[in-house]
Amino acid sequence: MNQTLLIARREITRLRQRFSGGTSPIAVILLLAVLGISAFALRDQISLGSGLYRIGVSPDAPPIRDSRFSTMIVTPVQGQALLDQHIIDAMLDGTRVIRRNDDRSLYAVQALKQYLGQQELRRISSSYPYDQAFPLRVGINYLPASGTNLQAAPGAVAPLARTEQVIIPSLEPPPVPFTQVVLALIYVLPITFISIFFTSSFMEEKVNRRLTVLLSAPVTPLQIILGKMLPYASFALITTVLIGVLTRASLPLVLLIYAPTTMFIFAIYLMVPLFYRTFKDITFIAMLVTVLTTAYLVFPAMFTNASELAYISPLTAAVKMYRGEGVGWREYLFPAVPIAALFGFALFAGSRMLNEEFLMGYRPLTRKIGDAIYLIMAHTQPYIAVPLWSLLVIPAVYLVQLVFLAFATNLPPGIMLGAVLLASAGVEELAKSIGIVVLAEHGLVKGAGNTLILAFLSALGFLLGEKLLLILSIGAVAEAPVSDALFNVGGLLVVTLFAHFAFTSIVTFLSTKARISYVLALSAGSLLHFAYNAYLIRGV
Amino acid sequence: MQAFRAIVNKELGTVLRDRTIVIAILIQLFIASFSSALLLGVLSAYDPDTILRYAGGNISIAMVDAGNTPLRAFLAARGLHITSYATLADAEAAFYRGKASAIVAVPAGNSGVAEVKLYLADKADSTNSLIRMVIQEPLREYENYLRARNDVQMYYTDLNGKPSTSFELIYSIILPVLMFFPAFVAGSMAIDSITEEVENNTLPTLLAAPITLNRIIAAKITSTIMLAIGQCLAWLALLQWNGINVQNRGWVLILAATVTGIVAAAAALGAVFFKDRERSQFVYSLTLLTAVALSTLLDVSPIKTLSRLAIGDYSTNGWNVVVFLIPMCVLYWLLSRTSRRLAV
Repeated sequence: MNQTLLIARREITRLRQRFSGGTSPIAVILLLAVLGISAFALRDQISLGSGLYRIGVSPDAPPIRDSRFSTMIVTPVQGQALLDQHIIDAMLDGTRVIRRNDDRSLYAVQALKQYLGQQELRRISSSYPYDQAFPLRVGINYLPASGTNLQAAPGAVAPLARTEQVIIPSLEPPPVPFTQVVLALIYVLPITFISIFFTSSFMEEKVNRRLTVLLSAPVTPLQIILGKMLPYASFALITTVLIGVLTRASLPLVLLIYAPTTMFIFAIYLMVPLFYRTFKDITFIAMLVTVLTTAYLVFPAMFTNASELAYISPLTAAVKMYRGEGVGWREYLFPAVPIAALFGFALFAGSRMLNEEFLMGYRPLTRKIGDAIYLIMAHTQPYIAVPLWSLLVIPAVYLVQLVFLAFATNLPPGIMLGAVLLASAGVEELAKSIGIVVLAEHGLVKGAGNTLILAFLSALGFLLGEKLLLILSIGAVAEAPVSDALFNVGGLLVVTLFAHFAFTSIVTFLSTKARISYVLALSAGSLLHFAYNAYLIRGV
Repeated sequence: MQAFRAIVNKELGTVLRDRTIVIAILIQLFIASFSSALLLGVLSAYDPDTILRYAGGNISIAMVDAGNTPLRAFLAARGLHITSYATLADAEAAFYRGKASAIVAVPAGNSGVAEVKLYLADKADSTNSLIRMVIQEPLREYENYLRARNDVQMYYTDLNGKPSTSFELIYSIILPVLMFFPAFVAGSMAIDSITEEVENNTLPTLLAAPITLNRIIAAKITSTIMLAIGQCLAWLALLQWNGINVQNRGWVLILAATVTGIVAAAAALGAVFFKDRERSQFVYSLTLLTAVALSTLLDVSPIKTLSRLAIGDYSTNGWNVVVFLIPMCVLYWLLSRTSRRLAV
């Protein structure tokens, strides 16, 4: 613990030296400017784009304050002429809208309708008594499940549920949680920036070889990682609290919700500096990682109330919070547990990879990944390492599969299921076989019997992890049949275990004994796995 | 001129050989396909028509309407399957028999605030959110009807346009991202390429060649602009191939190149000032974020100009593009005056 704190102190000193002088005021001013301008731009509502539509407005029409519209004040006669010349897209004449019949004009009218509708609600709520302006209340009630006794006796009716929520239709937030996703994303921006610093800290020490000195000191690699992470994690915590206070959210809830998100981002950015080779790689790798993590966080959250799969993103809980809707423990733990496991795995992998030989080696990226897996596995006997690996990579496999699933929902229904099944079979086979193949390459696995035993152990570890995960996800995600196909294929455990074992053996044998390239061996195993799953689904 | 060309060739060569540019292109492709997948997904997941087309068979509503209100007509016009029941008990029985997935109950009496009750299945049921989305519009129509009865006049409720989200997304998000992301990459590359020469101490060697420091920087910036133009051309072709019509393509391309010039010169200026990668990249990305946020507020912004050029706005033309040459020249002039800092 003391060593960890010591390294944390050293990290803060490093940052201080780096950003002393002219940089910190510049950075602070820029940060404030970004926040201020964004807050100003978001003050009313968020709309897509700016200046797309040109609208003529008569002097008596209400003012239009929305970035999508550029307005000019004209008389109706002038407006008609401008409309005909295609100089403006629509003309707002008092309470009337004049338009052409082409697409541009129709788009403009729809956008106007949406904007003016909001303005009208403001107008009537300020100029009429509340109950007159909003004369409709809708009480939402939930009927108890059909397990009650009323099917038996048709005359007896269960007492109706009490009203749980009363809504006013025109004041309900729009179903697409666009605003709330943007709000939830505001937390992620500073966390990403902070973790980029975390990354460049490793990078700098790698370049000036101070990391080598540090590694020879009596501290463990895990202490180094935790010590370096501590200051940045604290910064992340501070910004999260700050944004929570500014957006008037409940602080304990915000901290609970953003803990997994922060862990996710830090886990990924811990891996970035360990893998880059040259000075130039890092810009692009960091860019790619930023885009992918943002996509992973945002994409599911956009479907917050439309699909239960939205819960794979930890941001969905924040979106629900900002919509004033509740989140259950199951829905919270559904993304949080795999992410916490992923974080733990990243720490372990990082502490194994943090050695001079690995960090300084300049090899192709695929080789480098192979070396990393070897380092992770070689800490103990293959008989323990292989099943443990299969068990521990489950969260990662599962996150990848869920991403596939999220993307596949956009494919035509006919090929959706097939594409997801094929892709996830590939990921599973990769996860189960890569460890054995890497160990075999380093001469740690010899003989066919040995390979078979390891393949079996790998299948066993994987199945165990899969079942653990299933316990967690039942109830949170019920979107059959695709999730069934992913997580619940096959009735009998023994059959599933044997299937996993068979496919893993095929891949490992083809690649280590028959000397076929790993990619080909993997494709063969995945195709068989896919065929097996497809057969099972058809049979059910 | 020959030395200049040699540096440009070397810069382009490294980028193409390292295949780092492939990652950049992949990122752009990912962003573009991702945002359109997101849009299509969101549009279909939240659109009542799409919900009804795919799940409409499962959504039938039991209605108990004592006062014969027009709500039933509004719901039916939405395309929902409605069955009327005399009492709530009957409707509930139908619900439990599986004949209805929700109950809408409208109480009698037409004075004051109307209180409609919506009975849904148990909370865990996933059709609940679909039902709530589908009945939102009929409920609002009914609300407007009630307002009119209260003598509250709502205007603009009868406007009829065409759903504009796709149009707005393509021309104000996807196109600017595709045209300006190469500029963002160019800035990063300019910083990497300049600070690398400084930090690896290769700059003095380079200066021994018969070329000035300003020429070296100009060559580096030129190569990033050339790469950006190449990417923009590819994106324009891809958009055309996907049936997305971009007007004024020449000006769009010139605008993208000019913005790349501005961003790369500004980034190089930062690199000259800080002389190390970590700080320059950090300040660069913050500045860029500020600039993007600011440009959504101003009327003369590259994003707005790009969108307007692409949709063929009548009042936007080449002059709106030429304006951006001014900041580019100013930045470049500043750069040439301060570049000496690198050599000391």
